Amino acid sequence: MHVDVQTVRRVFEDVLSGSMSRELADRWAFAVILKEETGVVTYSPPGERERIWAGVMYLYGVNTMKAPGEYLHSDNDIKAAMNAKLDEAAAGLAAMPLRVVEQWPSQRFAG
Amino acid sequence: MTVDPDVHVAPSLDSQVGADVSTERPAAFAAVVVQIKQTSPPASASQRLSHERLHEIDRVFFGPFFREKYGRGGDKALQNDRIRYYGMIQPADEGGELAGRRYVHEFDTVTGCTRGWHETVDRSGNVRQIRPERNDGSARHYQFDSNGRYRGSW
Repeated sequence: MHVDVQTVRRVFEDVLSGSMSRELADRWAFAVILKEETGVVTYSPPGERERIWAGVMYLYGVNTMKAPGEYLHSDNDIKAAMNAKLDEAAAGLAAMPLRVVEQWPSQRFAG
Repeated sequence: MTVDPDVHVAPSLDSQVGADVSTERPAAFAAVVVQIKQTSPPASASQRLSHERLHEIDRVFFGPFFREKYGRGGDKALQNDRIRYYGMIQPADEGGELAGRRYVHEFDTVTGCTRGWHETVDRSGNVRQIRPERNDGSARHYQFDSNGRYRGSW
């Protein structure tokens, strides 16, 4: 399974435009997580894995409700999260100390 | 997280779990640094690690697998050999008394099984709602009051 920033951004945008339900976005993110657990997800480019994962983890559970029929997150929340995770995270990464971010520990162990 | 005196880990965020309702921010995260103190080798091949020691090794070994993915908000070792990894809180600006949600990933060091759920927390840090990941993919919310009493589900 291949995931890149553009794909994650598209899911965010589809949710915001209403062309994708939050439930579907949640299931899409969960599918990515399941694949990640089995080590078959590749991130492109590899250096953006942190941004991609942050976006996926936000979308997982984006359909959480605070009351029946009432979502916890507003569209503004989702838009802010999209910008923070997919844009500003890049600046945060650049400021981080040098470390290996291209692979999860499991992938590093697997060689 | 309590660890064996012979095993040193970088300061964790355990104390922050549930202590406040800080929301996700692009703060630098601590790299996992694990140093295992040199100890005497077993006297014989038949000498086994203690049950407790085995669990500590499990924690040190498996921790990095989950901490990077799920434990940015901290982790907590439970007495039943399980470790919970907490994600950062995703804020909900219009959530009223609810501050936001976080994903929690639980790892059983004995069986190797994992499970996860979403928690919705209020502005005091109390868990007010959980939404387990169910096998059939359906989303069911279980609600609690500010004192932790179960109120119902939908």
